Amino acid sequence: MTSRVTDVWGERTPYGPGDPWPERVDQHLTVDAARVERWVPSACVLCSNGCGMDVAVADGRVVGVRGRAEDRVNRGRLGPKGLYGWQANHSADRLTRPLVRVDGELRPADWDAAMAVVVERSRAVLDEHGPLSMAFYTSGQLFAEEYYAQALIARGGIGTPHLDGNTRLCTATSEWALVESFGSDGGPGSYEDVDLCDTLFVVGHNPAETQTVQWARMLDRLHGVARPRLIVVDPRVTATARQADVHLRLKPGTNVALLNALLHELIRADRIDHAFVRDHTVGFEELRETVAPYTPEKAEEICGVPAEQVREAARILGDAERLVSTVLQGVYQSHQATAAAVQVNNVNLVRGMIGRPGCTVFQMNGQPTAQNTREAGANGTMPGFRNWQNDTHMAELARLWNVEPSRIPHWAPPTHVMEMFRYIETGSIRFLWVTATNPAVSLPELRRIRRIVREAGLFLVVSDAFLTETAQLADVVLPAALWAEKTGCFTNADRTVHLSEKAVEPPGEARSDFDVLLDYARRMDLRDRDGGPLITWERPEDAWRDFTEMTRGRPCDQSALTYDTLRGSGGVQWPVTEEAPEGTARLYTDHHFPTHPEHVEDYGHDIVGGAQYDADTYRAHDAAGRAFLKAAPYQPPHEPVDDDYPLQLTTGRTVHHFHTRTKTARSPELQEAAPEMWIELTPQDAEPHGIADGDLVRVYSRRGELSAPAVLRGNRPGVVFAPFHYGYWDEAEPGRHIRAANELTRTEWDPVSKQPLFKQTAVRIEKVADARDVAPGRY
Amino acid sequence: MAETAGNKTARLFAELHEGEVDLAQHYRRVAERQAADHGTHYPCRSLAQQCDEHAARVRELAPRYGEHLAPPRRSERLDAAVGAVRQKASERAGTRPDAGLLLLRDLRELFLAAQGVHLDWVLLGQVAQAARDEELLADVSKLHAQTLSQVRWIETRVKSAAPQALVAD
Repeated sequence: MTSRVTDVWGERTPYGPGDPWPERVDQHLTVDAARVERWVPSACVLCSNGCGMDVAVADGRVVGVRGRAEDRVNRGRLGPKGLYGWQANHSADRLTRPLVRVDGELRPADWDAAMAVVVERSRAVLDEHGPLSMAFYTSGQLFAEEYYAQALIARGGIGTPHLDGNTRLCTATSEWALVESFGSDGGPGSYEDVDLCDTLFVVGHNPAETQTVQWARMLDRLHGVARPRLIVVDPRVTATARQADVHLRLKPGTNVALLNALLHELIRADRIDHAFVRDHTVGFEELRETVAPYTPEKAEEICGVPAEQVREAARILGDAERLVSTVLQGVYQSHQATAAAVQVNNVNLVRGMIGRPGCTVFQMNGQPTAQNTREAGANGTMPGFRNWQNDTHMAELARLWNVEPSRIPHWAPPTHVMEMFRYIETGSIRFLWVTATNPAVSLPELRRIRRIVREAGLFLVVSDAFLTETAQLADVVLPAALWAEKTGCFTNADRTVHLSEKAVEPPGEARSDFDVLLDYARRMDLRDRDGGPLITWERPEDAWRDFTEMTRGRPCDQSALTYDTLRGSGGVQWPVTEEAPEGTARLYTDHHFPTHPEHVEDYGHDIVGGAQYDADTYRAHDAAGRAFLKAAPYQPPHEPVDDDYPLQLTTGRTVHHFHTRTKTARSPELQEAAPEMWIELTPQDAEPHGIADGDLVRVYSRRGELSAPAVLRGNRPGVVFAPFHYGYWDEAEPGRHIRAANELTRTEWDPVSKQPLFKQTAVRIEKVADARDVAPGRY
Repeated sequence: MAETAGNKTARLFAELHEGEVDLAQHYRRVAERQAADHGTHYPCRSLAQQCDEHAARVRELAPRYGEHLAPPRRSERLDAAVGAVRQKASERAGTRPDAGLLLLRDLRELFLAAQGVHLDWVLLGQVAQAARDEELLADVSKLHAQTLSQVRWIETRVKSAAPQALVAD
């Protein structure tokens, strides 16, 4: 078998519009098939696509995986991370015992002792400084049941607004773009819309590397009869862009100007579905006025894309009869993130292309379980897409949790992680518990983050399976069970829910985050308003029952979705209710949107400046079930390139790694495929410095520097690319902080989604050494 | 028609212009002081720019009502000095426990200044309607809405910052 590390998308299975995507079962086993004792149904957790897979077990160990042919998401396929990434579970450096810092050193302890330390410090901080001094930072990697436990503990038990997920870094803009346009989170489309579309509009999204199985689906359409047209917006010449009919290779940070020009052209050529706009949207006149100045020539001036290409892209969008648009980090992590993501929604709305087969917009997710962080209210929103400004919603939540409504902080939106670190910096947050994420590598401006954690007198608890860069800074480290070692559900970007059942025991004393959170609640003696225990669950399924009941009547209603329904299914799309027990392929098929003031998830924002609207303002412009067309002018970025820092850094992902390589670097095939950090430069930018392929280069920003070999690629000149995955845990000298891309990035976030701007940093480069003078691994 | 509106309207233009110019400076000063508070720093820089644009538009509109306004003078040397202050402020204010209180004080003053500008836009809107100046009214509506968004942004920022500044310690 050819290695799927290099043959990333596998063999083509071309198909035409409306045909079912053919099955193709991918499998990787490390033992003879005859030795497999059982196959345990699950789904992949190494990207946001949510591919169904079976986990092979022999002798109490995971020995391989196989794609599930009957799964609606992948029809049997798996990508390289799915095929090989599970081997991290067996890594020799798994954490198997709790660690507690004693005399400056992390030392093994038993669970009782470690939890006693965590609880003692929690109590002391709470007693002395109150709930506003307590913070929790979770993940896009856990299961729905764990997020819901975390939300209940933090919001209903401790009563702190400081709970966020690392989903803030990957999908906050997805969430807010959906809320601002449609009134609620929840991707409207179905992956089957890819099977049906005649046009793909892929904006700041490189599925060829970040959602390889989704790209296999698109690629099979592109190789089949009646090939859909493909427009790609990306400064880089990605594998996705190479397939495009039109590739708009724009300057980073200019998405809004480009999208406004496309809307301008659609309006000018009258490619507008006037009946749809009239009956199902509000705000068209303002949108028309706002985009009026954005001619293709103006876009050329701002974005550096030839006007003729803008016209061509607009013609294709205007001719589309079934348009699927997709959006990811090139928008979410860039300048004017929410404003730009909303303009993609606007393209589909003015074309009337939503809620119909083959017509939708995917505001994609970055992580496998990010959707659940959002649904459970473990990030910056309230559980069940409830509106923190709506007292009825908050009273309902308080009733479900049996706590006083005032216990649940809802005087302001829940605190986002960047603000939490500001509060740590100024000393008012004194306790932080990080689960399943690695902010010491993934947050922007790492020097600042390290300084804050080192100097602020913070008590840091980290739950992880490995001693990550963040865990190394902790006061207490709790060893966590990984996927396949615990049971729970998770949901992808087209609302497909999978149940992932425990296949094997976790190593040593490692425990599931679910069990640890329940233990914490018990030891903290968190109680409801009748004096009973706040949490009465024992198993994940108990939490799932309460979680789904909590979603009843909300846009993410899963009240009829049980473990039994999910067990062995090919994935079920919410809403799942008594009326729709099989699930729901598409939202908004009646073109009625959840914008009613009583129902809406949030009253929304001024998408340009981020001002929050209140109930009165919202009611005054009652959209009454119509979608919002929110307009935004382009604004220049706050850190433009200049003579000192003439190049634009954009960070991103590579196909073989996930997040900070915590798992993927511990999979031999994936690690071997991409063992070392690199810097991508264009030949035009490299030439004046005498930099050739493989030469060691140094990149400087106003906040830090990093060093790595150069890879010359034909991206947009002026653009430097650095993968964000690489940190320090596997470095020979981990104290030399010149490897992580986030040494360079800066502390700014989108005013609406609060997602940091990882793709907007001015840098300069210099050559350090010729390739032949660089010893491997020594940069 | 413009002439008949007379000196009183001219004075309103001058006041509004001064208000926008001052508010722009005010946002810049807060941005400088709050360099370590990124959720305040960057929005204030954007809003300063918006006030500059408002002032420029007021200068374009005013001559029709007999008022000729000069753009504010900003020296490069001053800007450089201000940049240095910003650096220092960033380092100093970064970890101070009373940073939250200082932020609230800055936001309070900004709020009052922005309210003054808001009221001047209300006045000019009334003038535009009474003078049946549709073109002016269109401009006023658009720019006034932005000032109201500024006020709303300050309120948004105050609401999220206040509990941590005033209740946590």
